[in-house]
Amino acid sequence: MDFTFLGGMFANLLKGLPLTLNFWVLSLLGGGTLALILNLMRTTRIGNAVAAAYVFVFRGTPLLIQIFMIYYGLAGFGFVRQSFLWPFLREPYWCGLLALILNDAAYTSEILRGGLRAVPKGAVEAGRVSGMTRFAILRRITLPLAFRQALPAYSNEVISMLKATALVSTITLMDMTGIARAAISETWRAVEILLCAAAIYLAISLLVTRFSAWFERRLSPWQFGRTTP
Amino acid sequence: MTDAVETKAVGPALSITGLRKTFGANEVLRGIDLSARDGDVISMIGASGSGKSTLLRCIPMLEIPDAGTVTVGEDSLSPKGARLTRAEEATARRMRGHLGFVFQNFNLWTHRTVLQNVIEAPLFVQNRSRAEAVDEATALLEKVGLAEKRDAWPAHLSGGQQQRVAIARALAQRPRAILFDEPTSALDPELVGEVLKVIRSLAEEGRTLLIVTHEMGFARDVSSRVVLLHQGQIEEDGTPEQVFANPRSDRARAFLSGHFDRTR
Repeated sequence: MDFTFLGGMFANLLKGLPLTLNFWVLSLLGGGTLALILNLMRTTRIGNAVAAAYVFVFRGTPLLIQIFMIYYGLAGFGFVRQSFLWPFLREPYWCGLLALILNDAAYTSEILRGGLRAVPKGAVEAGRVSGMTRFAILRRITLPLAFRQALPAYSNEVISMLKATALVSTITLMDMTGIARAAISETWRAVEILLCAAAIYLAISLLVTRFSAWFERRLSPWQFGRTTP
Repeated sequence: MTDAVETKAVGPALSITGLRKTFGANEVLRGIDLSARDGDVISMIGASGSGKSTLLRCIPMLEIPDAGTVTVGEDSLSPKGARLTRAEEATARRMRGHLGFVFQNFNLWTHRTVLQNVIEAPLFVQNRSRAEAVDEATALLEKVGLAEKRDAWPAHLSGGQQQRVAIARALAQRPRAILFDEPTSALDPELVGEVLKVIRSLAEEGRTLLIVTHEMGFARDVSSRVVLLHQGQIEEDGTPEQVFANPRSDRARAFLSGHFDRTR
């Protein structure tokens, strides 16, 4: 093992970390927001059908194909090139982010749906008889309970998205994986470089795992033997 | 806690007229008229499926009646459709604000402590100050005998304790009337007494209570009035003495004898 090379490569890969984190955080924020909207849509019959179709398509096709469809495919439509969105949609950055958001929303909306279904009907009724508005019930009772229920499954999705960001390297973006790929084609030292990149992803995953365990205990202390807040 | 006695507007605390409710082909309520004055303690009894819980749940519009009118204080609602319109929902919310509702399964919010459960409506519905809400909640928890549990989680309380918190939560809304939907039916037998004791104390301080119950002895001792439902209609309506000692109908007699054979 050439530790000087490894150290240098490590520093080199870390230059891609900001872009990786950027994609990761923004796709989770955007996907989470869209997932909430998809679940609110599910309260009407037509909205439910639309949300179900959306999830079916984006969960049922490979993220890589979604990225390619948006990056290479959209440009084939004249009206896309004419539209005010074209300055964004011709940039690989925005195409990659859009694909990640749309994909994350499909998974997150299903995780949230499971959480919402697990909210006891009685807790909602107790809110209604207290005179709370529908919005207050959603904000004070339904979503907090659903979120707690969904947290373990959601932390999976968070880690999953971290690794999914690596796919944007296929559309010219220099995230950590993008830098790794470029370095491999220059040096042909694939194993060392990929090990280095994997180690960084692994370290971030570890942080997520730890954080979500802590967060779960913090949100639901009664499930962990703590008698008071 | 004398405010319940001081609420003395004219007219009944709540009234129900011509209430009907159908679930599919099952006609659960077939024209109910009932009204409660301030200070009334009304027990509603009857066999399973007689419609008493549905009747109680129609008052705050947890179930939407097919026909009929519910009046709570000055607010009145006769829903037109299977779902409340925006305006109807607003009226229903005002009505709910004047009612306390205690569920069979307590329905405490598990993600909030005992105190947080009790101050939720005062803070976030009635917009009272935190200091005032906490003071009042503390007094109410003391009243139901759970002052030392104020920072506990609902999951760590017994059923009887949870139900007493639920009663404190209902009281914190300063309701004009409190509705109890079989408040002891989900409890282990040894825990029934502590909850009934709290409800009894509320009756004694002159609060307006509507209690759906299977506890015949309790209904007889505590109520000012007993209503017996049978197949969605009021079969008997009178003082406990009238209903329990001299029921007019054979059905009532049969139901009551069946019950008193195996209760205290």
